[in-house]
Amino acid sequence: MDIWATHGEGGGSNAGGVGVMQFFNVVLPSESPLNQIAAGLGPNDLPYSLPIHPNLVHLTIGLFVIAIAFDFAGAFYPLEKRIFRFLALPVTRPGLHDVGWYNLLACAVISFFTVTAGFYEMLTAVPLAGVKSTFGLESFVTMTWHGVGGVLILLVIVLMTIWRGYQRFVWRKDMGRQVQWPYLFAGVVMMGVLGLHGTLGAQLAAEFGVHITADQLLAAGADLKEALP
Amino acid sequence: MLEHLLPPLNDHNLPWMDTIHPIVVHFVIAMALISVLFDFIGVVTGRRALFEVSWWNLLFATSAIFVAIMFGQVEAGLANPYGDARNILNIHSTIGWSLAGVLSVLTGWRYVLRAKDPLSLPLAFLGADSLLAALVVVQVFLGDKLIWIYGLHTVKVVEAMRAGLV
Repeated sequence: MDIWATHGEGGGSNAGGVGVMQFFNVVLPSESPLNQIAAGLGPNDLPYSLPIHPNLVHLTIGLFVIAIAFDFAGAFYPLEKRIFRFLALPVTRPGLHDVGWYNLLACAVISFFTVTAGFYEMLTAVPLAGVKSTFGLESFVTMTWHGVGGVLILLVIVLMTIWRGYQRFVWRKDMGRQVQWPYLFAGVVMMGVLGLHGTLGAQLAAEFGVHITADQLLAAGADLKEALP
Repeated sequence: MLEHLLPPLNDHNLPWMDTIHPIVVHFVIAMALISVLFDFIGVVTGRRALFEVSWWNLLFATSAIFVAIMFGQVEAGLANPYGDARNILNIHSTIGWSLAGVLSVLTGWRYVLRAKDPLSLPLAFLGADSLLAALVVVQVFLGDKLIWIYGLHTVKVVEAMRAGLV
């Protein structure tokens, strides 16, 4: 209780009131830490012109989805054998599972950089004021889900890579179908999570204008005909 | 004609919730680049199993690019580019179609190479790989400019466009 009371000091009329109430008059400093580096930032709130995170996201999502898709192809190989033969496309079952393994491994490695870049670019984000997303969320909540969710997704990708490695090298080493059904199920669930998560990221750009030069210039009252010829 | 085929346009100036082209290109960019990377790793380290992984990724990139172009064309048609974005979009479209050709030719060539000997890869293919990777990087750079500089299909820019401000 004491902690809240001290924290709320200077909070105006409620100072010294019921401790818990102090939550609602938190004193925010007027200076955002972003001001400390503002001189080095462009109109898009970044020290460079194009954000890095959205580019690495291509790799994370592409590699994950295709890894799972090819493990599905490997798992259902007996069913699709005839189709491959019809297409005159020589195929081996271990080859399909190789894609499932190596793509996921690459995904796990690259995704550390995806999250790192995302974190930095989230720190310098200045979402447009007064916007609510298609999901009905404000920018802070959207960024929280996308930021915290992103770290958790990285954790799941790493755990699934370890799981996949055990299946490949230990548990199912000598089996035709290299993956367990629960693994494929987890992969499908993660595709859904990635889709939702990616939509939040897309909303941060297209709706909240985060790191988009034109959006930030318009918000600052600039005339795009002059500012972006 | 398009407006009679598609649902009404939303605040992104799109007939669907959000841009689809940038989602489909995940599978062109990631699969093309990883195919090139695995080819190089395969040659350098002698892990020839990676050639098979490269092949499937290349085949997938080639299938995906045609879907990417379909959505890209529709969304470009609804983008109302302004200023220099007009030129960038033109070059992006031209390289996009060219990439479909380049990817198809490379995939055809690779099909033949793989049919002859799946465990070897001529150095010439690594040269073609390098060209492919360079084209993809340039294409991503141009697409990035359209969204991150010019904000095409973002709510704020669409709003300004409808108000006649850009």
